Amino acid sequence: MIAEPVGIELVGHFATVSQQREAAKLGLWAWLVTELLLFAGLFLCALIIRIQHPAAVTLAATHLKFWIGAANTAVLICSSFTMSGAIALSRIGWRAGMLRFMLATAGLGTLFLGLKGFEYYQDYVEHMVPFLAGPYVLARDQATRLFVDVYFITTALHGVHLITGVSILLVLTWQASRPHFLARHQNRIEVYGLYWHFIDLIWIIVFPVLYVLNR
Amino acid sequence: MRDPATPHGTIGQPSDYLHARYTLRSWFFTTDHKRIGLLYLASITAFFVLGAIAAGLIRLCLVVPNGQIFTNDTYNKLFTMHGVIMVWFFLIPSIPSTFGNFLLPLMIGAKDVAFPRLNLLSWYVFMTGALFTMITLILGGVDTGWTFYAPFSTTYSNTYVIPALLGVIVVGFSSILTGLNFVVTVHKMRCPGMTWFRMPIFIWTLYATSLIFLLGTPVITLALILLVMERAFHIGVFDPRLGGDPVLFEHLFWFYSHPAVYIMVLPGMGVITELVAAFAQKRVFGYKFVAYASIGLASITFLVWGHHMFVNGQSQLASTVFSFLSFAVAVPSAVKVYNWTATIHKGNIRLDTPMLYAMGYIGLFVLGGLTGLFLATLAVDAHLHDTYFVVAHFHYIMVGGTMLAFLGGLHYWWPKFTGRMYPEAFGRVGAFLIFIGFNVTFFPQFILGYLGMPRRYHVYPPEFQLLNILSSAGSTILAVGYFFPMIYLIWSLWFGKRAPANPWQARGLEWTTSSPPPPHNFAVTPRVDFEPYDYAIKAREVG
Repeated sequence: MIAEPVGIELVGHFATVSQQREAAKLGLWAWLVTELLLFAGLFLCALIIRIQHPAAVTLAATHLKFWIGAANTAVLICSSFTMSGAIALSRIGWRAGMLRFMLATAGLGTLFLGLKGFEYYQDYVEHMVPFLAGPYVLARDQATRLFVDVYFITTALHGVHLITGVSILLVLTWQASRPHFLARHQNRIEVYGLYWHFIDLIWIIVFPVLYVLNR
Repeated sequence: MRDPATPHGTIGQPSDYLHARYTLRSWFFTTDHKRIGLLYLASITAFFVLGAIAAGLIRLCLVVPNGQIFTNDTYNKLFTMHGVIMVWFFLIPSIPSTFGNFLLPLMIGAKDVAFPRLNLLSWYVFMTGALFTMITLILGGVDTGWTFYAPFSTTYSNTYVIPALLGVIVVGFSSILTGLNFVVTVHKMRCPGMTWFRMPIFIWTLYATSLIFLLGTPVITLALILLVMERAFHIGVFDPRLGGDPVLFEHLFWFYSHPAVYIMVLPGMGVITELVAAFAQKRVFGYKFVAYASIGLASITFLVWGHHMFVNGQSQLASTVFSFLSFAVAVPSAVKVYNWTATIHKGNIRLDTPMLYAMGYIGLFVLGGLTGLFLATLAVDAHLHDTYFVVAHFHYIMVGGTMLAFLGGLHYWWPKFTGRMYPEAFGRVGAFLIFIGFNVTFFPQFILGYLGMPRRYHVYPPEFQLLNILSSAGSTILAVGYFFPMIYLIWSLWFGKRAPANPWQARGLEWTTSSPPPPHNFAVTPRVDFEPYDYAIKAREVG
């Protein structure tokens, strides 16, 4: 292992390196607050539909693929672990190890998306997609559609975040593979890590709110 | 440390941000917060003109009671475009994105905002949202009202709801990016010695506004995404045919859109505080109270959204609680009004144009605020809900408040923005025209509403015609009043007197640098060792 110098390159309008680092971190936290509120609206909808139509929601929730959701939760928790590893290694300047952990994180994120796609396919096969043409398995209770619609919107919105996350991570990995990256931009790994953990955290709320609470 | 070391006339070095470079590229790809502020100023002025034309056509239509000037479809589209454009493309970005961008770093002694490139991005995002709105207009408009209530917007409207919704969703991200930038800038970019309680009140109000941007905007983004999903793909969450609840949309909508009122009002309050202190040459009375009142307003405003839904099927208990909380909003608002009047009291008052706007603001804001209390009263609201009384009330806040603050601030900081003075005599005439025109336009609407004329109808009983004609006549005076500053401010860009660094003998950091400021704001980083508003006359400090 060859430790590289680790640091951050000062941008013109900042006075000190620590000011720049803290500003980036606070900025990302502020962004995450907005993300939380974006999803909070969906959680609110899910809970209100559950209060208004408890029987329909239970019926619809039993048709969700619980084990795929649970497996995906495990996948994302593992990916948070690998991301933490990448951050820890970036701090001590072990670039090669860091890059491997970042690729592993991107791989786990892709695995999540693959499983999610398979789950959507299963939903399609079981006629659980009421907004598409064709039969709907729970057509006898129209209120189930409300919950199924919230399920699709929530998981799709989360999926969009994950696709964005994996894309940024791959670009970041490519950037980080070039020399002197850690000496100039180690901060980016830290800040990106916050975002990744947060997508993970959102799923950890989505899973119980949609899959577990209503069974 | 307040001696302005103005770096004027160094050979070979650009003296100010306007003359640093002249290319189009240097404007459209700038990361200088001052230039981005001016980009916003130009864009929102264009939208203001569009929104004002729609308003003029609405008033034209209402001159006659039988609605023969426009069809009801056209009328619905007119008031919707007026609302959408004025709320989302003028009032919300008005003060934060123009004055905020330009002044925030100057007032706290920073070289720029924390994320300059993000700042530029937010303008492009704004313009993308604007593009969607223009597409909506060109295709033929939208008729849902600016509130987009379901299920009309999701199912029954035959107009271009989706591009209009996309425009509002996109412009929301511009707000979020601006808010994020401002929060981080206030926290991390203050110059040495600029403690929290040495910040000008304008910065406090911008900070409070930015918190609302961050905490409110994502919720309406989501609510509007749900509308788009339901209308475009039939993925319906609010659809009553499935057992969905359209009132849920109203909750989500007003959870943002009521705080949005304070996005529009709070920065205006900040501007007025700056104007009042500078033109009374006196320290702000109860500085800390005013600062805390800003944060207080930003907090309470998240708890009162239900007062928009007293008659929309909300429970009695919920309405009672929302009514009580709405009354609570009056407290920090009143703190501000009393502190402005106490600041003016026994000050060394100069009645220049910005101060005229500030005085107009205080009067109109009081009237708008007090009529808000009528509407917060449950029994009275049952009578006044959805009448012209409500229209008059919020125009007293939005126009009498935000618009006057915007114009007052524009005159006050115009020398700093452009390096030129505006013609004072014309400025005063303009301020009077707007004050008179505004009152003639909107005061009759209080009476109309009290008598029972509902909003959003293009026909009305003939006995209301006199008051409607009065209102429409007032709007022509108002239009002249708006047109006036546009002419002489543009004129002053070439022919105005050159502005000194501090034409108002004001005490903020922005006045210690040259007019217009150099590209990086200050020749040397300022070091603050003085209290805010340290004018010669001191108010008795209660804070």
